[in-house]
Amino acid sequence: MSVPATAPSPTAPAADLVASLPDFASVAYKDAYSRINAIVIEGEHEAYGNYKSISTLLPEQAEELNRLARMEMKHMRGFQACGKNLKVTPDMDFAKAFFAPLRNNFQAALAEGKVATCLLIQAILIEAFSISAYHIYIPVADPFARRVTEGVVKDEYLHLNYGQAWLKAHFDQVKEELMAANKANLPLIKTMLDAVETDAAQLRMEKESLIEDFLIGYQEALSDVGFTTREIIRMSAQGLG
Amino acid sequence: MFGLIGHSTSFAVARQRAEELGYMEHAKGDLDTWCSTPPQLLETFTVTSRTGKSITGGYIDSCFLPEMLPARFKTAARKVQNAMAYAQKNGFNVTALGGFTSIIFENFDLARFQKVRSIMLEWERFTTGNTHTAWIICRQVEENAPHLGIDLKKAVVAVVGATGDIGSAICRWLKERTGVKELLLVARHQGRLAALQQQLAGGNILSLENALLEADVVVWVASLPKTMEIDTSALQRPCLMVDGGYPKNLDTRIQASDLHVLKGGVVEFWRDIGWRMMQIAEMERPNRQMFACFAEAMLLEFEGWHTNFSWGRNNISLAAMEKIGQASVRHGFRALGLSDLVTAPALSVS
Repeated sequence: MSVPATAPSPTAPAADLVASLPDFASVAYKDAYSRINAIVIEGEHEAYGNYKSISTLLPEQAEELNRLARMEMKHMRGFQACGKNLKVTPDMDFAKAFFAPLRNNFQAALAEGKVATCLLIQAILIEAFSISAYHIYIPVADPFARRVTEGVVKDEYLHLNYGQAWLKAHFDQVKEELMAANKANLPLIKTMLDAVETDAAQLRMEKESLIEDFLIGYQEALSDVGFTTREIIRMSAQGLG
Repeated sequence: MFGLIGHSTSFAVARQRAEELGYMEHAKGDLDTWCSTPPQLLETFTVTSRTGKSITGGYIDSCFLPEMLPARFKTAARKVQNAMAYAQKNGFNVTALGGFTSIIFENFDLARFQKVRSIMLEWERFTTGNTHTAWIICRQVEENAPHLGIDLKKAVVAVVGATGDIGSAICRWLKERTGVKELLLVARHQGRLAALQQQLAGGNILSLENALLEADVVVWVASLPKTMEIDTSALQRPCLMVDGGYPKNLDTRIQASDLHVLKGGVVEFWRDIGWRMMQIAEMERPNRQMFACFAEAMLLEFEGWHTNFSWGRNNISLAAMEKIGQASVRHGFRALGLSDLVTAPALSVS
């Protein structure tokens, strides 16, 4: 007979919670990094283009949107430097294919003049996805990339806020459109996460926490825009289950 | 505004609850789905003290499930951190860490990770609620033992889980304030037991097996091991058992005449609260019963004591127990007693 523990006992060694740093110079790391780095560069490049495009739908906000676009360009250069620092050539073809479905949806919405859908894709989905990935990357990044990424994260919150503010102000008119856009685009995020699961793991980034952190940012944005808890839980369950 | 961080008692219960709430994807989802589900604010409600003061609060489900342990301990830790970050970001002044939340925080030493994404956690916004829980359990011993004819001055009281935060506080109170005849200290860590004995300047260290044979009152602050069988015929009669462990399952494991098992650390409020969340915790009267740790967050909000009243390990003073105990009575909480065990319909109508 043993003396009781608090069952089930959370007795894992506390040290295990601190992620150890990967070997940044290993072939396996650099191979995975060539794709992840490319995704990040392409992501920032797409963001640059997307904010420029949105400004054509919202000419009165063109100045602010162009400012955001320039910021994304600055981020892109920062991440290019991260690749160079590790002597990795980003696999841009992979990254372009990675973003293609989301890009196509954005372009289709743009052609139809659907501002809310464009903002949901770029300013909410992609931004929440980026911020969560950056947050999870920072503790396991090489020192150079860590500094760059920390700087980027601070800026990205501004973008998330930008999209939220516009959608919040027009919530009643765009609610239905947002729900449809969520349904069409959230499953793509899941597909994208699946596509990089192995490479992300090589960088010590776990898919499970990437999804949870993404959902935290995404749900927070949806809540701020005006959706109820019930709507948010249902919306975010679409495609991520 | 005060917050309560809780979770379902099992995966099966969580799925059932999700179905009731109409969240079919979660009701059907596998454990992986729950592992990557963020904390959810499931309910907000108003609570009115006996003094007339009203406060508002919210229940945050961390989406932690006991099934995540021990293998997915990183997930468990993340659930706790994310729920705390959510509470802070959403302006909760003081939030209680219920169920396994505070146990995970303590055992994994999550105080090392103050930054969660862009949020620097402010510890003063959180409480384990352990001071109130310890005080309530002591009141349950003091109020109910005499009803069974047990005179505490002449009684042997065993505390199982004596070296923990709540257990050590209970030992100090029983020795200093209640004055029991003999205090039996039961725990896993021999080193901590010796330190506790020295600090108390008293108490006998015993194995669980031997302590159970001698005790008139057993206070459980740890759960009964799943593999352990208790020979009820060898226990003292009458015997009062206060089940202060989590989850509370003693009453289903130990049943015999003259053996009285109380739900430890559970309080009843003086009036109904318009919430649904305590149904998850399988309370007899879920509209007004709750864990004492949750009630502590309410007390801190009622009193405007926006501080981490219960924090860290073995910091609970008798003065703090007295202080929270007085607030508890003032605002209309009472500890669950033996009379609450009667579940005849006529008596359970509120």
